[in-house]
Amino acid sequence: METPFRSNRNVILTNAIKGEFQMSLKREQIVEALKKIVGEDGVITDQQVLKESSVDRFRRFEAYHGVYSLPLPAAVVYVNSTDAVAAVIKFANENKINVVPRTGHSATEGGLETVLENSIVVDGSNMNQIVDIDTYNMQATVQCGASLQALDDRLRDQGYITGHSPQSKPLAQLGGLVATRSIGQLSTLYGGIEDMVVGLEAVFPDGGITRIKNVPRRAAGPDIRHVIIGNEGALCYITEVTVKIFKYFPENNRFLGYTLENMKTGFEILREVMVNGYRPSVARLYDVEDGSYHFSHFAEDKCVLIFVAEGVKPIAEATAIAIDEIVTRYDECVKADPKLIERWFDHLNWDPANLAQEKTEIIETKNVCNTTEISANWGIIHDIYDVCIQRVRDEIPDLTLLGAHSSHSYLNGTNLYFVYFYNVVDCRPEEELAKYHLAIKKIIVEETIKAGGSMCHHHGVGKHRTHWIEKEYDSSYYILKTLKRAFDPNSIMNMGTIIPLESK
Amino acid sequence: MNILVCFKAVPDLDKLIDEDWVIDEELQIDTGFLKPILNSYDEGALEIALALSDASESVGVSVELGALTIAGTRATPILKTLNALRFKRVVRIHSHDDFRFRPMAIASILTQYVLRHAPQEVLLLGRQTSIGENERTHLLLAEMLGWPCITQVTGIEPVDMNHLMVTSQADDGQLQQRIQTPCVLSIGDAPNTYLRVPTLIDRMRYGKRPIEILSSMDFHLADETEALMDLEVLIHERPGILIEGQTPEQKARELYEVHLKERLEKR
Repeated sequence: METPFRSNRNVILTNAIKGEFQMSLKREQIVEALKKIVGEDGVITDQQVLKESSVDRFRRFEAYHGVYSLPLPAAVVYVNSTDAVAAVIKFANENKINVVPRTGHSATEGGLETVLENSIVVDGSNMNQIVDIDTYNMQATVQCGASLQALDDRLRDQGYITGHSPQSKPLAQLGGLVATRSIGQLSTLYGGIEDMVVGLEAVFPDGGITRIKNVPRRAAGPDIRHVIIGNEGALCYITEVTVKIFKYFPENNRFLGYTLENMKTGFEILREVMVNGYRPSVARLYDVEDGSYHFSHFAEDKCVLIFVAEGVKPIAEATAIAIDEIVTRYDECVKADPKLIERWFDHLNWDPANLAQEKTEIIETKNVCNTTEISANWGIIHDIYDVCIQRVRDEIPDLTLLGAHSSHSYLNGTNLYFVYFYNVVDCRPEEELAKYHLAIKKIIVEETIKAGGSMCHHHGVGKHRTHWIEKEYDSSYYILKTLKRAFDPNSIMNMGTIIPLESK
Repeated sequence: MNILVCFKAVPDLDKLIDEDWVIDEELQIDTGFLKPILNSYDEGALEIALALSDASESVGVSVELGALTIAGTRATPILKTLNALRFKRVVRIHSHDDFRFRPMAIASILTQYVLRHAPQEVLLLGRQTSIGENERTHLLLAEMLGWPCITQVTGIEPVDMNHLMVTSQADDGQLQQRIQTPCVLSIGDAPNTYLRVPTLIDRMRYGKRPIEILSSMDFHLADETEALMDLEVLIHERPGILIEGQTPEQKARELYEVHLKERLEKR
């Protein structure tokens, strides 16, 4: 089995050894300098904290077994202000020290891994203030470490919502959500985070603080918000975010659920809903395997379609009626009790208790779940689904579940979220990723790019899809690489993320 | 050695929100929209049985595992999983009757199954379930069969064809006993008892094997001296105070000054 990932890591480490990315300061000097900038209390050098800060959820199987194979950061620095972020990053830039920006620490694609010696993890989770909720101009401004759950709860008390509801909502913070181009379960109506962000504040590697003002639209050249949104800490550090807010009418929510025989029909229905201009907040299609994990109590051996219509009453009602008319034209669809769907949604998100339970289960059963999300136009999405499922099933050992769902639809296409569980058999914890997760990801990414889709829908590139970033961008890779060179000339911002380390 | 695990699929009550705790005229709470899960103690019993089977090979003891539930069709996905995990015999005694709080009825069905349908040497049960169970089924079952019963079992190891080494929690610590079969073992708070997960290949190869289905009508129910008369939702609430403050330091200060200091000084 080819394992480009291992060789990729070797390149990273080899380069570090060669001194290509070597910093001018020793570990102790870095720590002392950081303490002078943010104070003693803000600089953490506890070995266990450093170990846990060298990884994110991508390497959680290794971490659960106490295995940490990456270089440990020199320190984790808790910053309390934009000025502190600027001072730390300026110091890192002047001394060519790798910086890994972090807020909620819930990343899933290795974006928070410290792949270079003596990196500085800059944690903005203490910058957690909700700065302003402006219900007249319908926008809220928060610091990077503000919890999405806290913001949404505060808004709901006043009759508003962010419209952003990823599964990580109880864990994630706004800085990280914007940095990874996050998307939520209600995206079909409210959009992804990129549709919600009005303006931002960010710190660039030279320590300069940049603010993009909050206006409804602009045509003054390229939309530079998108240099920052989705940069994954590889260009700058997001310190403040202003997002749109929406009026909240939960009493009008309409839940619709259907069972059906196959995914092709499901994609056709999703497409018909979208191209006819309906905007349910939720439009999801589960295949039989993924569906069995969630819905075996009413949809055994069936695919499942789910919609939620929301908003003001006339729109919510009309949307639900129209979608139901579309779906019922397909004979194979059988309507399910809406309460089954409503109650399922109540428990979809992951909080710290879920994480603790997952850890116990994984350690006991050696059964691990991972995912890879892609997107593609309507014309090719089913082919990608078919070939990926077939190849993974044929080529990967020890699978216990392999399925997929579409959870974010657009006028011209949809996403696919491949979900796979496997039993870790006959390998050490540090070999698990190469044997299973990365081997599966490789199949899905390569088949998606080959068909003309995008290899990342909403988790970000992180450090383990960089292998295919040039193929993902094709001729436009020039723009991405130029951005990196222009904004991060000393190569200090989350190196190895988005752009592979060896081609800095 | 024939080992039968008796289990129950239960609604995942953690996913029942406050407004759904409504008791109807039939003394039922509608949980039909919740996905059934394995009762946690029964899940432990199933995993312990599988581990016992694994360990038996190395000591030359031949073990045949069975799993049985009294339920409607909603238990089918779990039964298929047990098939995929290669339980030799997977049985559903079909019933839509309300067996909550009826350990006597359940024990009598299980007794007849063992005596008439499939002789067993060991019966494993979780100590209790999350709905309608009062931790008596295993004791009544043992009494009806005339077998010994060990409660609060946390581990089982094979010894020979007629004996097991059983670890259980006792009031004064852990107890390890060499037990002669037949016996009833009630699984308590055992460690490491998440049920293993079958592979896709095993699901395809074994998961769709037929499930043995019997009817509860074919079993005589023992006379019951108890009946469910009423249900009440217990609300466990403790008073709480939300501490306001701009920073964690301010909140900690208020916690100490206002709520803790006096109490601590009194000690």
